[in-house]
Amino acid sequence: MRELILGAPVTVVWLALFGGWTAIDSTSAGQVMISRPFAAATLAGWIAGDPVAGVVVGIVLEAFHLCILPVGAARNPEAGPASVVAGASYALAPHQPSVLLMAVAFALAWEWVSGESVRQVRQVNVRLVARDPEPRSRTIERRHLLAVLIDFARGVLLVVVGFVLLSLLLHLSIPRWGLGERIPHLVLGAVVVGLFASTLRFFGTRVKLFLAGAVVGLLLLRLHP
Amino acid sequence: MNHLPRSLQARVILRSFLVQGSWNYETLLGTGFAFTMLPVLRYLYPEDGAALRAAVARHTTVFNCHPYLATVALGAVTRLETEAVDPSMVERFKSALRSSLGSLGDQLVWGAWRPASALLGVVLVLTGLAWWVGVLVFLVVYNLLHLGLRIWGWRVGTHSGLEVGRALRDLPLQPLARRTADVGAVLGGAALVLAAAPAAPDPDGLAVVALAAALGFLLGSRTRKLFAGVVGAVWILAIFSGWIR
Repeated sequence: MRELILGAPVTVVWLALFGGWTAIDSTSAGQVMISRPFAAATLAGWIAGDPVAGVVVGIVLEAFHLCILPVGAARNPEAGPASVVAGASYALAPHQPSVLLMAVAFALAWEWVSGESVRQVRQVNVRLVARDPEPRSRTIERRHLLAVLIDFARGVLLVVVGFVLLSLLLHLSIPRWGLGERIPHLVLGAVVVGLFASTLRFFGTRVKLFLAGAVVGLLLLRLHP
Repeated sequence: MNHLPRSLQARVILRSFLVQGSWNYETLLGTGFAFTMLPVLRYLYPEDGAALRAAVARHTTVFNCHPYLATVALGAVTRLETEAVDPSMVERFKSALRSSLGSLGDQLVWGAWRPASALLGVVLVLTGLAWWVGVLVFLVVYNLLHLGLRIWGWRVGTHSGLEVGRALRDLPLQPLARRTADVGAVLGGAALVLAAAPAAPDPDGLAVVALAAALGFLLGSRTRKLFAGVVGAVWILAIFSGWIR
């Protein structure tokens, strides 16, 4: 690991633009859920050249987000840009459980930075659109679209800064990793299983249906071992 | 409502995708509501600048609801505007509507449809299907309801006007949320087993995975914080371990 894992400049540009899209998708525009970790990390991995690596990150991060309800003005982590960073970085890095664990851990921290930036943008929006008692229709349109643009720029910035930071951390951490590969493999597997188990309570403790699903899972394993 | 041109109605529905674009802590999605209504307001007050300005000011006040169901409120308010209903009544109607549209959408979309769609995509990938199949199925299934709600919401809003509350009660949105949660529970069980198989290749692994599953069952949504801490702690421990060697 002598070089930073950054990829080609054009890849970074595409990732940054995709990160901007995921940022506005989570609240400001569309909400087609391209910003969900499962989609965002996978597509970021595809942009970086390895969608299978991206989908692995996407599944782990999605498991962390299944039980989050974005209700009202609650403080929640924002998954989109962080998932782009983690999915692309893992796609470009050596595919080892230790690297996957570091990418996931970074994304989980970066989501909170991203969530805090959402709150800051919402404060900016107060000054931008909410303080004019008699706004003109053209002004409303202009300012509303400017708010969306600011949100997009926030996503671009989060992806670029996050991507460089995670590359730097991987560059420093991979040679110093002292736990082998079995422990991170086991930890990540157990974490994902535990998080899927937590959906039982999220969906209202439907024990029989959950067990039926587990049986379906066993049958699927038999069919596709 | 048939006298509103179709292209204008389509513009409102398209603008509803940006309804939360300037979400803020004072008017919430109030400005977005006015932004989305603007084609209608310009159609209703084409020559009268003062009336248009007054209408815009009325609709930039505090408003919030689930973004996909905002079209219900937009449609109903459009109808009230075309019928020249007293503005104070429109304001009262909007504030009465917002909490029910919020809770209905949160329960159905965020609480059931989204996690169930995501689990469906994840389960497909875990069973060995290609990555793009899982992602595509997730996005298509999720957005079937999403787009359906936006278009249906506009129709029911413009059709029902002040009676939109009754129309909402008559529609099976809550049973749909319950059935979706049923499917979500099945998919959750399947995802657990499919994820556990590669994670637990030996008895030690099986014990750790079983412990994690037990914690997940016990802690519910609190599992997230605990496991995020575990992942971070393992990274720190690994670097410390590498350093002392």
